[in-house]
Amino acid sequence: MYKNNRKKDIPPKYLLLALTIVCVAFLLLSYFAGDHMAKIKLYTGKIIAPFQKGVNEIGLWTDSKLKNLKKIDELNRENEELKKELEEARRQLTRYQTMSLELKNLQELYKLQENYPELNMTAAHVFSKTSSSWFSEFYIDKGSDDGVFEGANVMYGEGLLGLVTDCYPGYSKVRSLIDDSSKISARLIPSDALCTVEGNLNTYKDGVLVVSNIDKDASVSVGDKVLTSDISDRYHPGLLIGYIESYTLDSNNLTMTALIKPACDFDNISDVLIITDKKQSIIDEE
Amino acid sequence: MRRVITLALLIFICFLMQSTLFGVRDLDGITPNLMLILTMSFGLMRGRKEGMLTGFFCGFLVDCLYMSVFGPFMFLYMIIGYMNGFFHKNYMVEDVMLPLIVIIGDELLFNMSIYVFSFMLMNRLDLKGYFTRIILPETLYTAIITVVLYKIFVFVNKHLKEKNKEKTNA
Repeated sequence: MYKNNRKKDIPPKYLLLALTIVCVAFLLLSYFAGDHMAKIKLYTGKIIAPFQKGVNEIGLWTDSKLKNLKKIDELNRENEELKKELEEARRQLTRYQTMSLELKNLQELYKLQENYPELNMTAAHVFSKTSSSWFSEFYIDKGSDDGVFEGANVMYGEGLLGLVTDCYPGYSKVRSLIDDSSKISARLIPSDALCTVEGNLNTYKDGVLVVSNIDKDASVSVGDKVLTSDISDRYHPGLLIGYIESYTLDSNNLTMTALIKPACDFDNISDVLIITDKKQSIIDEE
Repeated sequence: MRRVITLALLIFICFLMQSTLFGVRDLDGITPNLMLILTMSFGLMRGRKEGMLTGFFCGFLVDCLYMSVFGPFMFLYMIIGYMNGFFHKNYMVEDVMLPLIVIIGDELLFNMSIYVFSFMLMNRLDLKGYFTRIILPETLYTAIITVVLYKIFVFVNKHLKEKNKEKTNA
């Protein structure tokens, strides 16, 4: 009680000044002594993350119940369509199987067989998203205990979703491709031109991402695939980012800029896959 | 003491709701800013000091879990709580218009500062696009939620006051 009384005696103006100084001190400390600040983050996260997971479970449960009711009709229709597609796909598969046999034979002849290693993945739940509309970061419930590491690639469905930026024992933070601070080196297929995929919240609201720095001589066409490139230092090569929707020549007459439709739907992310293999790099890790 | 615990709980609950229920299942990527409503409500109902402290701790949680550095959101929420405290003398229990107007002003201020400091300085100058796609929808969404949430906070505040009176009378 005594403490409370004393507090009331401080005029708000001075308290404001004091708290402002605290803010600035925190800001400076997190620049110059980031490791100590990370500890505060770790412990607060440890307290709060379990609650977030719990609340999210409740949300997911009600959500799934509501969705079930709505989706029965839709599912029936989809089922019909998928059956047709499956038949078509089976037919194609048999064709490809014979073709791949042929390819194998030819590769053996040329001894050209390249290694496309299977990547190890682990699945995780999204349990919390950034608390403002401006950033596209979220938390998943797998952390360093499950083999996730800082810089691990995160997939959703068949498409690349983003990158693990912070990793804690029980959970980790993921930044998605559409966040404004995200930039990826990518490659167009089939023209094989290098380019940069930039996150941009504003264009994503139109359902597209911006790809810049495409060489103007590259033969780009609508519908081309955009994959992560081999030269990227953080992303495994060959992960699907999206498909080209339109492209224009830049005013500098040297490069082109394209808009792509991302392969995964960033709006309803619930379960993601994390690639637990590290990208091979030339620089040795300390 | 009861007041401190209640406020801490409210901050905690608002943060949880904002980052899970409203965050993950949002409307077209727009999240309502529950913690701003909380800061505004207590600034309005209790004056500068309490608004400021509420804002400070709300900002602390946001910075702690979602930002790479400490400080920016702490400062932003704190300043907003402090400024809302100036409207304390116009506060009436039944009034709904004042909090609505104040929260709309707060949202615009809050989002414009985020835009200026982390988007405009990154050479993303398309203010009109950001305004119509993010700032405006978020402001409206938050304003709508304010109508409901503010009533709850007023109720909590009234309850706390009564308890306090009982204590001093006894």
